[in-house]
Amino acid sequence: MKKFLSPLLFLGLFLSLAKAQELPDPMYPPRLVNDFAGLLNSEEVNRLEYKLRNYHDTTSTQIYIITVSDLMGYDLADFTFRVGEKWGIGQKGKDNGLIIMIKPKVGNERGEAMIATGYGLEDVIPDALAKRIIEKELIPEFKEENFYAGLDKATTTVMDLASGKFTGDDYLDEGGFPISLIFLFFVFLYIYSGIRRQKGKSLGHSVPLGAAMGMFSNMGRSSGGYSSFSSGRGSFGGFSGGGGGSFGGGGARGSW
Amino acid sequence: MNRKNLLQLLALIMLIPFFSSCGYNRMVSLEEGVTSQWANVENVYQRRMDLIPNLVNTVKGYANFEQQTLTQVIEARAKATSVTIDPTNLTEANLKQFQQVQGEVSSALSRLMMTIERYPDLKANQNFLELQAQLEGTENRIAVERRKFNEDVQKYNSYIRSFPRVIYAGWFGFEKKAYFEADQAAKEAPKVDFGN
Repeated sequence: MKKFLSPLLFLGLFLSLAKAQELPDPMYPPRLVNDFAGLLNSEEVNRLEYKLRNYHDTTSTQIYIITVSDLMGYDLADFTFRVGEKWGIGQKGKDNGLIIMIKPKVGNERGEAMIATGYGLEDVIPDALAKRIIEKELIPEFKEENFYAGLDKATTTVMDLASGKFTGDDYLDEGGFPISLIFLFFVFLYIYSGIRRQKGKSLGHSVPLGAAMGMFSNMGRSSGGYSSFSSGRGSFGGFSGGGGGSFGGGGARGSW
Repeated sequence: MNRKNLLQLLALIMLIPFFSSCGYNRMVSLEEGVTSQWANVENVYQRRMDLIPNLVNTVKGYANFEQQTLTQVIEARAKATSVTIDPTNLTEANLKQFQQVQGEVSSALSRLMMTIERYPDLKANQNFLELQAQLEGTENRIAVERRKFNEDVQKYNSYIRSFPRVIYAGWFGFEKKAYFEADQAAKEAPKVDFGN
């Protein structure tokens, strides 16, 4: 019996090893930003990691950013879904994993980006929406090599969508910015100025609308808002990598 | 009952205590895995079928759009809807037929998408862009579910065909199941992804 089995076993082992070698392994220790291609500097990596880790800790949704300079001969979509499956991105049963995969321009090859949604996120981030995020938020920044800016915007949008802060229809209709947020901003401004006035400080109305609008228009840029965070290097703990989630081919891609 | 049957029956009875360790239950669960994965495969193909009428309606509105490519898509779809496979009967011939009719839909669709290249207005149409993204996503889903199906079939097949199960798997009706073959359409699944 051993004689019969061992060639089979050996073959199986060999095949699985050969397969496993082709796809990259997650970085160790496990993290959400796996910048194999080195597109981000260490501070940018830390900021994104912090943002994504925070989100993961509160919602269990795993948003991975992966950059590679070589797709090992796979098509981008195929590569992304295989990696997602292999790393088990998302929680088992919930399948709430999302991958932003980037293959930068190398030589004459075009740069490519893909957003892949796990089964559980297909409803909140449908393909058309993923496409829109790529075309509107990632590609324009990536063209200028501003990888951090694009990723920061896209992750904010994805998080807001995934936690139901606004729906896909809002996003598609309002051209990217939900009216409700603008409204909230003015409500906040009103209350704030009210408080200042009550305190007797004459600042009340002196926040000029122009400046307020200026602040507002900057919001998109620095929407990460973690600018005070810079010293967290290596202090992340308690993340144990993919949770066994699964992907069914949802998402979209684009190139530049 | 002749002698051969009797012997088989005896052997079977003797094997009963070993079934839990000899993999009967595992064969069942692997087969179930294949069956349920087949349902996923059919779902994603159905998803593509459901998109086609939308696509056709969007495109049809455009003045003098080439009727021929549209008709081909509609015909291929009609043909493909008539072919379904009973998941308990995943034989090579069945799967091949399924793959062939769906392959025709794929190529009709990619011809349609290629034709659309010549209609800049249509390409800029918001409705169409969304349909295009959905179609791309659907092609990706098809590729993924097919791959998973093949992996499940491979697990099942290699399990029932390895020793000692190869001897008795057939007695319980565990037959080898067919794979999807990599056809041209599958290898270049996101064909509709044009110059963006």
